Amino acid sequence: MRPWIELRGVTKRYDGDAARAPVLLDIDLNVAENEFVTLVGRSGCGKTTLLNIVAGLVEASSGEVKVDGARVTGPGRGKGVVFQQHALFPWLTARRNIEFGASSRGLDAAAARNEADQLLALVRLSEFGEKYPNQLSGGMQQRVAIARALALDPQLLLMDEPFGALDEITRIEMQEELLRVWSSRRKTVLFVTHSITEALMLSDRIVVMRANPGGIAAEYRIDRPRPRNRSDAALAALHEQLWTQLR
Amino acid sequence: MSALRDRPALQGAMFIVALFALWELASALGWLRVFQFPPPSRIAEALWELAVSGFPEGVRIWTHAAVTIARILQGFLLAMITAIPIGLVIGRAPLLDAATLPIITFARSVATLSLLPLAIVWFGIGELSKVMLIAYGCFWVMLTNTIAAVKYVDPVLIRAARTMDVDGARLFTQVILPAAAPRLLAGARVALGVGFMVIVGAEMIGTIRGLGALIMEARNFYRTDISIVGMVALGLLGIGLTAGLAWLERVLLPWNTGLASVRR
Repeated sequence: MRPWIELRGVTKRYDGDAARAPVLLDIDLNVAENEFVTLVGRSGCGKTTLLNIVAGLVEASSGEVKVDGARVTGPGRGKGVVFQQHALFPWLTARRNIEFGASSRGLDAAAARNEADQLLALVRLSEFGEKYPNQLSGGMQQRVAIARALALDPQLLLMDEPFGALDEITRIEMQEELLRVWSSRRKTVLFVTHSITEALMLSDRIVVMRANPGGIAAEYRIDRPRPRNRSDAALAALHEQLWTQLR
Repeated sequence: MSALRDRPALQGAMFIVALFALWELASALGWLRVFQFPPPSRIAEALWELAVSGFPEGVRIWTHAAVTIARILQGFLLAMITAIPIGLVIGRAPLLDAATLPIITFARSVATLSLLPLAIVWFGIGELSKVMLIAYGCFWVMLTNTIAAVKYVDPVLIRAARTMDVDGARLFTQVILPAAAPRLLAGARVALGVGFMVIVGAEMIGTIRGLGALIMEARNFYRTDISIVGMVALGLLGIGLTAGLAWLERVLLPWNTGLASVRR
């Protein structure tokens, strides 16, 4: 099967910084269609840069980046992104934010409204459609952000530490929520996190990254069915392994 | 007493009343010279005189106030419709921003009233030079605020828009403009304040109408009581117009008001 994301020899160095190690050096990575892949690593390992390169928000210095067989030349076009900060437009209500995403892919007003209704229901915020982002809790804001990304109907969902700013309990709820949403709208997901547990609960595959220069240290495939149990012995063993790898 | 302690507005009012009473008393006892500190009763009489017969004779306080408001609003609006479009362009063009920064800093630093002689030469001693002076003062403040408003739009919002294929003109009207709106309105409020600072000086020339002219004319007749009435009237107008802008902000930006109170 042809991979959905293909990275070949991707290197990123910032201009005028030849003396320092590149942020990313010679990355090869394939992600299959509908696969959920998590990039894990310490701060500074370039995982967010790698995600931004796939999103088309940052350009690689060299190497090849393909999504769905086509070279990535910029953002948009079937690549939904969820950021660590919700990045919702504060002047639009939750519903209008989602409609903004829907109309960006060419839906007319009525269709966009209908899509927003469905997505609000999917992220269980039907009652909160008329609230502004600042009137919502952090978890709700991130659910709206996910709904807005889904409104683009992307084949690929890129998530950059989307639950990083949330408290522990909300974070766990959001992971469950994401898996539920993902099971009803299958997408290829590339997910960045620094939480080992989060990666274990969510992914089909975990890609461990190292820093200086940023690169891939190891990959682990997880075949456990979802929803996963936090006290699963196999996951606990893998947690130990990842922990040793990362520190 | 506890009921009084819970009502700060009432406390404030009572304090002012007490202060006025003390002031009145101090004048009556001869501790304050009436010419330097006209007592509240004297100021009230001056207000009555201004409301009934006017000062100078025939020009009542309402006329002074209306003329002043008209001048401030004309200058302010002229500044808005020129500064906002120019600022939006400069704010989005880093090169232009760097190129214009010294000129803008220079022009801002020139005290508006020092341009009075030039304004008379260019625009005469009629309405135009007063309006232009106010516009000048408001313009630079609004320009700097507009540039800052555009420059400091949260970059993550622009990134988010780009992931939704929003670019060019649509990015400008649907993302940058609304994101900059709160700072634009804050800038407008500061600019209006500048208009009030300029008006008294601008009304020093060639007119007997307007609160600034009233204050100057009163000075020529040693009428400190009337000067004070003019001063207070200006302050009240300032409060009124600023409240108007605040109202406009609530109507235009419902999402931006009272965030602290609605945040859960």
